[in-house]
Amino acid sequence: MDPVDDVEAPAVDAARDDLVATLAEALGDGLVASEVQPGVDVWVRVAADSWLAAGVALRDRCGMSYFNFLSAIDWQPSPFGRDMDAQVDGPEANDPGPMEWGTTGGETRFQLLARVHNPATGLGVTVKADLPGDRPEVDSWIPAYAGADWHEREAWEMFGIDFRGHPNQVHLYLPGAFEGNPLRKDYPLLARRIKPWPGIVDVELMPGDGDDESGDDGEGDDA
Amino acid sequence: MGLVENGKLPKPLTALLNVSRKYSLWVYQWGLACCAIEMGAAFGSPRYDVMRLGVIPFPASPRQADLVVVSGTVTDKMAPAVKRLYEQMPDPKYVISMGSCANCGGPYWDSYSVTKGVDQIIPVDVYVPGCPPRPEALLEGIVLLQERIRSEDMGERRNGDPIVVS
Amino acid sequence: MTATTDARKLAYIAGQAADARVNVELETEGMTLNIGPQHPATHGTLRIIVRLDGERVIAAEPVMGYMHRGYEKLTEVRTYPQITTLVNRIDWLGSFANEVPFILAAERLMEVEAPPRAQWIRTALFELSRIANVVLFLGDMGVQLGAITPVFFAFRDREFVLNQIEAVTGGRFHPNFDRIGGLKDDLPKGWIDETRGVLDRIRTFCDEMEDLVAGNEIFQARTRGIGVIPADVGLSYGLSGANIRASGVDWDLRRDSEMGLVHRELDWKVWTHPDGDSFARYWVRLQEVREACTIVGQCLDGIPSGPVMAKVPRIIKVPAGEAYVETENPLGIMGYYIVSKGELVPYRVKIRSASFNNVSITPWLLKGVYVPDVISILASLYFILGDIDR
Repeated sequence: MDPVDDVEAPAVDAARDDLVATLAEALGDGLVASEVQPGVDVWVRVAADSWLAAGVALRDRCGMSYFNFLSAIDWQPSPFGRDMDAQVDGPEANDPGPMEWGTTGGETRFQLLARVHNPATGLGVTVKADLPGDRPEVDSWIPAYAGADWHEREAWEMFGIDFRGHPNQVHLYLPGAFEGNPLRKDYPLLARRIKPWPGIVDVELMPGDGDDESGDDGEGDDA
Repeated sequence: MGLVENGKLPKPLTALLNVSRKYSLWVYQWGLACCAIEMGAAFGSPRYDVMRLGVIPFPASPRQADLVVVSGTVTDKMAPAVKRLYEQMPDPKYVISMGSCANCGGPYWDSYSVTKGVDQIIPVDVYVPGCPPRPEALLEGIVLLQERIRSEDMGERRNGDPIVVS
Repeated sequence: MTATTDARKLAYIAGQAADARVNVELETEGMTLNIGPQHPATHGTLRIIVRLDGERVIAAEPVMGYMHRGYEKLTEVRTYPQITTLVNRIDWLGSFANEVPFILAAERLMEVEAPPRAQWIRTALFELSRIANVVLFLGDMGVQLGAITPVFFAFRDREFVLNQIEAVTGGRFHPNFDRIGGLKDDLPKGWIDETRGVLDRIRTFCDEMEDLVAGNEIFQARTRGIGVIPADVGLSYGLSGANIRASGVDWDLRRDSEMGLVHRELDWKVWTHPDGDSFARYWVRLQEVREACTIVGQCLDGIPSGPVMAKVPRIIKVPAGEAYVETENPLGIMGYYIVSKGELVPYRVKIRSASFNNVSITPWLLKGVYVPDVISILASLYFILGDIDR
């Protein structure tokens, strides 16, 4: 959606508001938070206990028959820095700082992230659920959406999230002997420890540029 | 050919054998990623037509191949298969590493799952840089390899430096 | 078909049935067949382990990860312009189309909009990369079923499309041409007329493929009624693109959503097929290449004048927020969920690639089919390994 259309779009989005209302009715307290960007998108955050119920309600009551994806976000920033700059990001762990959550907020380290669609209306919704950092566990979505199978395996492998009732929770991408959960923020990219990133110069300020934010030729990325 | 490997062949016979080998390279296409399509364009498309160089890109198995083109990203999960493939090939065998990923990891140089260069697993004769290299670059690599094969002394094989196409 | 051949055919069928009875009486033992990870029939490094009972598949389990490069982790340590380079290589046959949803998502967060000329050129290149991608499928599907010729035709005509993409972007494969706020450069002189010629060539190619492959009796016998995906199953597995439209679901993001491209201003048609079998998927893709030619042709006529780049900061810092943008890529729906914290690098990028979902249906779909059909079904699902594993 283009920003121009944002302005033209109505401030109230009836279809997306209805969706949130239906979910609130179906889940009760299970619906923790929601956010509607009129004409653009809608997010809902449900309690982890209501995760499967939310999937079923979306499928049966909101016509969201299309399963798009399922993944997760690790909101705990890496204790090793962002591995962007070997001079700054040392191998020793630092205090990662407080967690800051995105749209619809959050409470715990992990956040499940799934998206389903209604192919008839073209409406899509992003569903989130908070999971604790020490032992993330949640019901599998396979009873609601058969396609969640591989996505849950991926989330298990990448984040270490357990899906209760998943029939085949084994490695999907990585060799069986692989240790660690790569997409957790505290999983370091060791190759960067050995060799500082040469590309870091690309994002440094050019001499004399100062904090010029307007741009001269509109080209943002070649040095 | 044990004699060839021993390097105890009379010179004229070596020259004859080398010319024969040069123009009948059976190449196994080990296509892994983007480069596989450029390799396909080089080997399978009418525009580039690799057969005019005396290279035959249709062996049914690595056991019939003289040359393997490793084109694309080699991941840690794939690495054992690459090694096994190389071990299956009969001597004398040659390896062309095609593309930045196979050469050194390329854009995935910091990834947790990518092998940083196929030369960590098997010896490489020709490096073709590019991401992906154009089909012409691969053909150049093959021509350079043929040049080397023509003047090759089996006894000294593997002692030379690898070729880097530039 | 004459009466004699009919009779012969009946005799043949009867003989087959008799053989089948013998097979039933023989006790067959399960057998595990491993296809891949590098196998000519899987066009890529997909490995499939199938359990067989005679010729029939009782279970199939794809093993992926031979091309897993860790995109989602790598995006967390790269700046936005650098990620464009990286995402090119997800679906390597239609590279430009990979950049578009990522750039659009970043543009939505930054609240910038590409100028109209850039949007039109983007659309033209987007559809050209669809042609470059699907043309290879149209030929390759023949190879999977034993017809070698079509793929040579595909490679021959694909080169002309790649030439046009290269003329604009400088890259045959990985253009890295899209920028947040527009495009890197304008079109070169004379490109529009040349492209028209190439489109004619591709239309001819489509006619050839319709005759040579889709019209071929053997091809039809091996694809019609094979690998049928009902619409509701396809939806619950998240199939997209031609795979879901071949099951009769009339859903195309180019028409049905605001993508930031100009498809909705053009006159073209979304093709569907009611059958949902391998043949339907081939047929829908064939029509989509034709429609892509139509779309590119209209883009060429309608490209407005003006700049190709909006004013954006020299150093791209995307404001904090979350955005998900998806587009109808050659292989299906591709989307990027960007979580930004207002830094040079995104906090998290979830890449929703089409092939991952499209292939996730295979354990369900391959159950009960015959071994030769495994190949034709896999080929008709049409996946790129990089798009599965990322």
